[in-house]
Amino acid sequence: MEGDSEAGMLVRKIQEGTVIDHIPDWRSGLVAQVLRLSRLAKLQADVSVAILQNVASRQLVRKDMIKIDRWHVDEGEADILCLIFPSITINYIKEWKVTKYKPKVPDIIEGRIKCPEVQCISNAEREPISPEFATWKKNRILQCEYCDTLLPFDRIPDYVKS
Amino acid sequence: MPKMYPARLLSQLERRTLTSYFSGKDVVSAKDFKRTQLEQLFQAVDDLERHPGSLEGALKGKLAALLFFEPSTRTYSTFQIAARNLGMKVSGFSDAGGSSVSKGETLHDTVRMFEGYGADCFIIRHKRMGAARFAAKITDVPVVNAGDGSREHPTQAMTDLYSIRSAFGRIDGLKVGILGDLRYGRTASSLVYALSNYDVEISFIAPEALQIRPEVEHFLNERGVTAKKEADLKAVAAGLDVLYVTRIQKERIPDPTDFERVKGKYEVNLETLKDVKPSLKVLHPLPRVDELAPEVDATNYARYFTQAAAGLPLRMVLLNFILGGGD
Repeated sequence: MEGDSEAGMLVRKIQEGTVIDHIPDWRSGLVAQVLRLSRLAKLQADVSVAILQNVASRQLVRKDMIKIDRWHVDEGEADILCLIFPSITINYIKEWKVTKYKPKVPDIIEGRIKCPEVQCISNAEREPISPEFATWKKNRILQCEYCDTLLPFDRIPDYVKS
Repeated sequence: MPKMYPARLLSQLERRTLTSYFSGKDVVSAKDFKRTQLEQLFQAVDDLERHPGSLEGALKGKLAALLFFEPSTRTYSTFQIAARNLGMKVSGFSDAGGSSVSKGETLHDTVRMFEGYGADCFIIRHKRMGAARFAAKITDVPVVNAGDGSREHPTQAMTDLYSIRSAFGRIDGLKVGILGDLRYGRTASSLVYALSNYDVEISFIAPEALQIRPEVEHFLNERGVTAKKEADLKAVAAGLDVLYVTRIQKERIPDPTDFERVKGKYEVNLETLKDVKPSLKVLHPLPRVDELAPEVDATNYARYFTQAAAGLPLRMVLLNFILGGGD
């Protein structure tokens, strides 16, 4: 992460926050979509985000990176990101100290992703219901617990709840 | 040394164990039922057919809440008659238009309300997929899915399977063609889930736009069940033992041009049945529109009215199993 000199030159080290590294090149927009980065300023005014695209990488040749200063990405969101992009590494920075997050593959993802089937009961506006998906890691798909609709991992960004 | 039981007593013990599987259980998806449980259900339906009236009043005093958010004639009536034959009180509605739902009441609130009125079971039809699963999460009272959008209709699948079993004396070894609207038709997917418990050959006969849904294929793959897709009935008709015909679900197809393209193309009539096995049985969950010609009714192939009639004893037995009447 910090050892990649090109990225290091572009953005300074951070004292507190999250670094999302080894994002496939040009896919950082989807990561921003999953993390709903646009909401961060509303939640905490001093958060700043650096998005690096197509920088040199020892592992991937070219990669994207996102550095979020003064914000720790929620672990549930980190788990979803790692489902979509298995190459991603997520590092939490606390007082300059880097801790690599070990993603978990959740059996059930609740409340974070909308069902793609518009007629699913979980999309009924007035029902007090939270969408739930079971994870089929081998097939790289989610399955709605209510209507059984399948959602491939790579289509998750389109259905992240706002 | 294990205690030895006489065969008859053992059968009774097995029956109790299996009945207790159904006791208090939701019937939300045909996926939730294994072969032994289905067979137990079917044997009890056989018993009831042999001894009509044997379950009269078995659930006396219990309350069935029939919440039909989507209009229904057949399924609503069958459940209503089944519940009444068992001695149950019946409450609810057969069409959301005549209920508080038309004023905007949610499924959640409706279920909670009837729970408060002392419902012993819910029988729910809803246009939204997964509605019965949601209802089952809201309440501890057993929920029976009477159709949720284009997803499932498990009690119809049980009836279908029972009808196949009655016609052939077995289900294993049969070649079953499922024809019509497999994408939006809920009976097809539930039937496939239930059939996956048996050693059958399944053909999905439909135009590409109405072929079986990906999650059903996914389920079959996970179970190691192979099924083939066909666009043309003629390609497979001669080898079939069962032809399960379904209606094109015009009301659920988002693009009307999709409906116009396939309308009438999959009609079953005497001409299409020209080269089939003499023992073929044609099933249909009914109601039918153009897909199954009335001229087939008088043939030995037609099994759909017997199939429809089987829905009543099957639902009686199922309700009795769920609500603890047992055997």
